[in-house]
Amino acid sequence: MKVLMFTWEFPPLIAGGLGMACYGMVQSLLALGIKVDLVLPTKEMVYFPLREVGDVDTLPAVFVDPVLHKEYESHSFESMRERLEYIGISGRPESYIQMDEIVEFAQAVREDRWQTSFTTMAEREVFAEVAKNLIGDEDVIRKIQEYTQRAERFARILDYNLIHAHDWLCYPAGILAKKISQKPLVVHIHATEFDRAGGPGNERVHKIEHAGMMYADRVIAVSQYTAQMIMSRYLIDTAKIRIVHNAFSLSDESVTSKKRIFRGPTILFLGRITLQKGPDYFLETAVRVLKKHPEARFIVAGTGDMARKLLRNSASRKLQNKFLFTGFLNRVQVEEILRASDIYMMPSVSEPFGISPLEAMAFGLTSIISKQSGVSEVVNNAFKIDYWDVDLMAETVNHLIENPDECLKMGLAGMHEVNQIHWKEAAEKIRLVYSSALSEYIKSES
Amino acid sequence: MLNVVFYFQVHQPFRLRHLNVLDIGKGTNYFDDALNEQVMKKVAEKSYLPTNALLLDLIKKHEGRFKVAFSVTGTAIEQFRAWSPQTLDSFKALADTGCVEFLGETYYHSLAFLYDTNEFLDQVALHRELMKTEFGQSPVTFRNTELIYQDSLSDLVFEIEGFKSILTEGVDRILGWRTPLYAYKNYSKDVNLLLKYYQLSDDIAFRFSNRDWPEYPLTVEKFVNWIDHLTLEETQGRNQFLNLFMDYETFGEHQWAETGIFDFMQHFPAEVLKRSHLGFALPRETFELANYQQEALSFPEPVSWADAERDLSAWLSNDMQHNAIETFYRILGRIRQKGDPELLEIARKLSTSDHFYYMCTKYFTDGDVHKYFSPYDSPDQAYIYYLNAMADIEERLED
Repeated sequence: MKVLMFTWEFPPLIAGGLGMACYGMVQSLLALGIKVDLVLPTKEMVYFPLREVGDVDTLPAVFVDPVLHKEYESHSFESMRERLEYIGISGRPESYIQMDEIVEFAQAVREDRWQTSFTTMAEREVFAEVAKNLIGDEDVIRKIQEYTQRAERFARILDYNLIHAHDWLCYPAGILAKKISQKPLVVHIHATEFDRAGGPGNERVHKIEHAGMMYADRVIAVSQYTAQMIMSRYLIDTAKIRIVHNAFSLSDESVTSKKRIFRGPTILFLGRITLQKGPDYFLETAVRVLKKHPEARFIVAGTGDMARKLLRNSASRKLQNKFLFTGFLNRVQVEEILRASDIYMMPSVSEPFGISPLEAMAFGLTSIISKQSGVSEVVNNAFKIDYWDVDLMAETVNHLIENPDECLKMGLAGMHEVNQIHWKEAAEKIRLVYSSALSEYIKSES
Repeated sequence: MLNVVFYFQVHQPFRLRHLNVLDIGKGTNYFDDALNEQVMKKVAEKSYLPTNALLLDLIKKHEGRFKVAFSVTGTAIEQFRAWSPQTLDSFKALADTGCVEFLGETYYHSLAFLYDTNEFLDQVALHRELMKTEFGQSPVTFRNTELIYQDSLSDLVFEIEGFKSILTEGVDRILGWRTPLYAYKNYSKDVNLLLKYYQLSDDIAFRFSNRDWPEYPLTVEKFVNWIDHLTLEETQGRNQFLNLFMDYETFGEHQWAETGIFDFMQHFPAEVLKRSHLGFALPRETFELANYQQEALSFPEPVSWADAERDLSAWLSNDMQHNAIETFYRILGRIRQKGDPELLEIARKLSTSDHFYYMCTKYFTDGDVHKYFSPYDSPDQAYIYYLNAMADIEERLED
């Protein structure tokens, strides 16, 4: 089986959890013998034919233009990084909305492309919805336009059985590919606009999300929590929805043993500093805990559009040198900060899944996670608290500080638990989703 | 007689590295030695060395009639020693002329006066020793960091052996109808006060090269004419003091050589001394020259020479600044108590007011000035690096 996969992130092109999830998923799909042609928002028009498990790390690339490909083949690269830069991938830390270097668009998506030979009224509506909402000059919209235009080309020249598109940025590409190839489309919901915005959010994004799910043959939700959201907010046919929880695999090079920075108990927030992730609830918890335990240290690791506001707020709360900011951290640094921390907090307002608590637990941190998250469906050895209940969160942190043995025990149990969660099982479930979509497709063909 | 009293501030802070949380506990040097060296060498070449050479010439040429005062911070002198010893030598050569006065201040150019009296007194004593060893002078005139002053400062300075005068800003809201041209007394009449004449000081320091300024270009003749006009007022024989106070880096760094600032300074003393009723005086001489009953001025609230507000808002107006400085003085208290001399020396470099200045968010007209002087991208960055240093030093304190 071969899958044409559209995603906006894949290591080293990473802004958040999506990239890591795709990495683990594709790696395990390859292990099951499923081949993947991966399309990323690269500067150059290339795709990545992934065939072996190791390909997720080496990222072999093919230029669509044979002349350019020949040039690329004959080029000798000093390093992987140099090669990826040639293709136009750079590990941009910022959220994909700000990836400025992927620019240069030939032309906007022409509406007429979307208006040819519709078989049903429903199909016409889906295309009209996407076309209408893809018109615009915003950077991100222009990037999606470009990406979608390329998808048309890939859909025609590549050979595949099925299309798999991750999150709304890639839905127009997936829709177009399905239209051209008449192959089944699987869309994968890692987050909806309701999660990201922590409220209604952008209506155009909703429309594109809705169109993608409507046109898809299967909709994969990363949690029960997300499936519920898809049903209640987007009114998607439940028969199409499948739940596949994300997993987490520690890289072989990871060292998880403790290496403290601070003498005092260290409590970590790790993730994008955005409304969705609830960083202000982390601050409120810190304010309460530090009154009782001034020896504690609270670390905010990451960047995001709320970083400045959080920084200024924390200063106004007079937390002295006990509430610190790391700024953006690379992979190695993330592991460093995990090794230095005791307690992990994820007070997300709305978290479709939330891989980072799994990572924190793999490092033996005791985790306090928002009830409003998909990850809370898959782990038992973590404290699950409503994100807004900062008093309870503070009480829990205090309790863990006052009972370090219990904290350690919970951390170890969590570590053990997380080590049992593998992408292998998730990939197996995805394979079943593929098969069911394909068999339906074959049925309708014959 | 109207005496021009020049005082130049010579200061360089130890700028912080881009400290990350992950640097904590690794014995990382907090200070960006490479940047500090680069700045020191650049400013020495563009400003300190040529201006010192010029002043030395002028002093020799005018045979004791031209004189200037300097306040040189301890952090500047440490960086001279490290990266520009010839600059330090050129200051020593100026000291040897007898026409140069060195003022007293806090060694670390700190805001200690506002937060920790004992630390303030210690830093003043350290600076006093330094002036004695480097320039052979025991300061008799005091100027607090950035001319910050209020009544309670004069009480403290009066208690320190040797100080007779304090310099501060001629703030309109304090002076009211009075002129800054006379020597005043502090509120308790114990200490002599000299007030900066900010219009004419800032004409040189800030407006000299500003082409949008109606008076541009500022010629020596024009400027001395303005000074001459100040003497038209009836003085009944009382000696006046025109206090021109500014950053020394005005010469060659804030105002580049191309603006003509050096030519201006070169011809200024002769133009002044042409007139028999004009002259130069050192701050320490004003005490004797004030041939009248000096009026007492009360400064109930702190003033400074910074920004349009001339208050403390450049260093202490937002939450980041307050949290940072309160954290610092809490930790400094612990270090002082522990008595770890090595840690104390490092901590004191973090007391320098510039660190808090970089965190200022008043991005109106003064924001540009703040930005010009800041080595960081934003006030938030400055705050983050500073807090990380605070977190590290507290961990070291537990060792």
